[in-house]
Amino acid sequence: MILFIPILAEPQRFSLAEKLIFAGLAVASVYGFWRRFGPILDKILKSKKDPGFHLFPIGRRIWDFVWEVLCQAKVVRERPLPGLAHASVFWAFCAFALVTLNHCAVGFGVGFLNPAGPIARFYFYFAAAFALACAVSIAALFVRRFLVRPKWLGEHLSWGSGLVALLIFLLMATYLAAFFVSDTAPVTRVLWWVHTLVLLSFLPLIPHTKHLHLVLSPATIFLSRGGFSQIPPLSGDEDFGLVAGTDLTQLVSLQTYSCVECGRCTEHCPAANTGKLLNPKEIILGVRAYLNDLGPASDQPLLGKYNSQEAVFQCTTCGACEFQCPVGIEHVPILIGLRRGAVNTGAWEDQHGSKLFLALERGSNALGMSATDRDKFIEKQALPIFDGTQEYCLWLGCMGGYDPKGREIVSAFARVMNYLGTSYGVLRKEKCTGDPVRRLGNDLLFQQLAEANLETLAQNKVKKIVSICPHCVRTIQEDWKEYGTPPEIEHHSEFMARYADKLPKQASPNSAIPEKIVFHDPCYLGRYRNVYDEPRTVAALAGSLVEAPRNRERSFCCGAGGGLAFLGEETGERVSHNRAAELVATGAQTIAAACPFCNTMFRDALAASGEAAPQLMDIAQLAARGLPDSGGLRETAGS
Amino acid sequence: MKIIVAIKQVPDRDAQVRIGAGGKWIEEADLQYALNESDAYALEEALQLKEKHGGEVVVVSAGPERVGSTIREALAKGADRAIHIDCDDLGQHDALGVARLLAEAVRPEQPDLVLTGLQSEDLGLGQTGVIVAELLGLPHATLILHVEKSETGLTVKRELEEGWFQTIEMPTPSVLAIQSGGNKLRYATLMGIKRAKTKDVRRVTAPELGVNAAPVVQLEQVTLPHKQKSTQMLSGSAKEAAAALVEKLKFEVRVI
Repeated sequence: MILFIPILAEPQRFSLAEKLIFAGLAVASVYGFWRRFGPILDKILKSKKDPGFHLFPIGRRIWDFVWEVLCQAKVVRERPLPGLAHASVFWAFCAFALVTLNHCAVGFGVGFLNPAGPIARFYFYFAAAFALACAVSIAALFVRRFLVRPKWLGEHLSWGSGLVALLIFLLMATYLAAFFVSDTAPVTRVLWWVHTLVLLSFLPLIPHTKHLHLVLSPATIFLSRGGFSQIPPLSGDEDFGLVAGTDLTQLVSLQTYSCVECGRCTEHCPAANTGKLLNPKEIILGVRAYLNDLGPASDQPLLGKYNSQEAVFQCTTCGACEFQCPVGIEHVPILIGLRRGAVNTGAWEDQHGSKLFLALERGSNALGMSATDRDKFIEKQALPIFDGTQEYCLWLGCMGGYDPKGREIVSAFARVMNYLGTSYGVLRKEKCTGDPVRRLGNDLLFQQLAEANLETLAQNKVKKIVSICPHCVRTIQEDWKEYGTPPEIEHHSEFMARYADKLPKQASPNSAIPEKIVFHDPCYLGRYRNVYDEPRTVAALAGSLVEAPRNRERSFCCGAGGGLAFLGEETGERVSHNRAAELVATGAQTIAAACPFCNTMFRDALAASGEAAPQLMDIAQLAARGLPDSGGLRETAGS
Repeated sequence: MKIIVAIKQVPDRDAQVRIGAGGKWIEEADLQYALNESDAYALEEALQLKEKHGGEVVVVSAGPERVGSTIREALAKGADRAIHIDCDDLGQHDALGVARLLAEAVRPEQPDLVLTGLQSEDLGLGQTGVIVAELLGLPHATLILHVEKSETGLTVKRELEEGWFQTIEMPTPSVLAIQSGGNKLRYATLMGIKRAKTKDVRRVTAPELGVNAAPVVQLEQVTLPHKQKSTQMLSGSAKEAAAALVEKLKFEVRVI
């Protein structure tokens, strides 16, 4: 008959032989762990130091550690049910710290927690609750991995994971079983030994499998670069990016060894979702395989056998991968590092890429057009010229200055600013901010563009900038910091949201049914800048908002980022078509964009979908539509 | 193969050109400069030949201090060394004068091949390469799109009118004037620029080269093209208007 005995059973009086066997096995286990972990730690420490790495301010690091490691925030938020199961297993591990210590002490006859005492009893019950949750969770996760088989865990079944799941289950089971036996019963000793053997086999397994994240990921999260998609500076004359093993830094090595292979990065990758070669998880594991085989001192190229150049250049730098990662891997700097290695050394030979670089070597914009074209646009639209006296400099950018649709957005926004009485001007001369070449890894060109622009801004005494393009905003605010001190800059959605109460709220033609508007969150405004509400505030002036299934920080890229708008035809399904279909399926009459690149990509995708396509407008055009002199609902071209 | 590429730094295509005081040249003060377009193709051709057959590519350029940046760009793209002919008054030299400077700089190098661009974007004379060839006593060909090494020297592809091409066998050493568009140009890389820092740039002056003759062609005046628009409405019936039109085209405009 099985009786629940409220006191945890501990076997008594281990013989000397038993103690010696236990000690021997423990030593073997630790040795087994170190034999594999030592070399890994060595590889990480022997990697190049990270240029520009600062341990302080430490507050951010401590917060990230508490939130992401202890509270398991990302783990749970991005995949709730499996996330909670994992969190239970993790919290059980934490709760079990003293249990395990005491367990081993008992084996040497020096157990320090008296099971009958009140403190120990409370603690053991506390741990038991976690053990129960853990056992249920790990069983559920086992079923998920081996029976349900979600797509993003990959085709290949990880038997190592199965084994570890079994071991964890046994640990919890043997612990809980000890509540049903007495100290003196022979089965108690058996339970103790099973628990011990499971523990001692688990330890050496850790560094041989992805369970290495148990040891590494708290450090990975604590030591992360911070910010989002932070591209590190190059260090010295011989640094061209991630060319070979010798370029891998400690952070990169640590991150690749922390990968849990969960596939959350790949699940949200626009390239991976549209049949391209690129798979962010495989990029990280490719670098890890390189380190395992060749180590950080090798001069073999990183691109070639371990990762393909083609895959690396399919990335739109949307950041969905990095945003998801529960163990703190920063994918985007690694991908851009690999691109730098190819471009800064001239190894990347791409017809469209070369054309983009040559256009910016000689000219002022990424579209290869003459600067006089932009002058004519400014003149025709009668845009005021910035002369140092106005409050804002309106940055046109390449799209705003040269692209027909971009120009419409600028014109609409200018009308809004005129209505609000904002004092602003545009610069006579702008060069491309360098965003596409920065994300493609061309540091020579980026430096030239950043320095030339910073000088123009200083000469013109620009203090505040407002721009219609999230790429310009990001590049000016963050990336130019490497070459000087850029002025303050904000996106036009942030500007207009501040004055939303002064802008007219619009009634639709058929007021009974307000116009449905779906807002597409641009990658460089949402995930990169954490701006989600402001553009919605502006769009709400013109109708009622509906949301796409993948919205806000889960927004699916339009496909233009990372310089890809300038490269040639994609393989597989077009990213823009995939996203456009999702936006159309919301049933909205209008798709609202806040980025001229998104706008261009969707215009093309919607044209392919035929007559019933919703209209596509920038939030500036939606806001301008309600202005007194707009003369009607639709914004006409070139107005 | 030892290849010399003569390059010229010209005002940027986008530049707003203004006539300088005196009307003899343009105002250089605010201009951005860049490598002449067909010279870039000449450089690319030279670099591709070096990659295929080994050897050395030397760039030579005449001009003031600012020419240094274009020379560095050429070194960054893969040229091995450079010769900078210091010349502050390039605008005062005629084609013969510039060609003399280039020829005297090139002569001691004894190259296998000299490449120039077809014509410059500012003056567009299209003569300098040919005169250099004559001064050096070397065979030459112009409008070249493609150069290949052959057993006896070179096989070159030359562009003619109306989509026709001509293939010519030539000996080396020789001089070729390269037309734009024959190759895909390479972009300047960070690695190239860093390596360029250590490459040799030799500075020489006109007197050192033994060139001091006065120009035989004087540039009298430089003006912006005069844009004129005048509209005359011809009245009357179609027949009358047509007759009046023919009258004007014959005797006023003088095109028929």
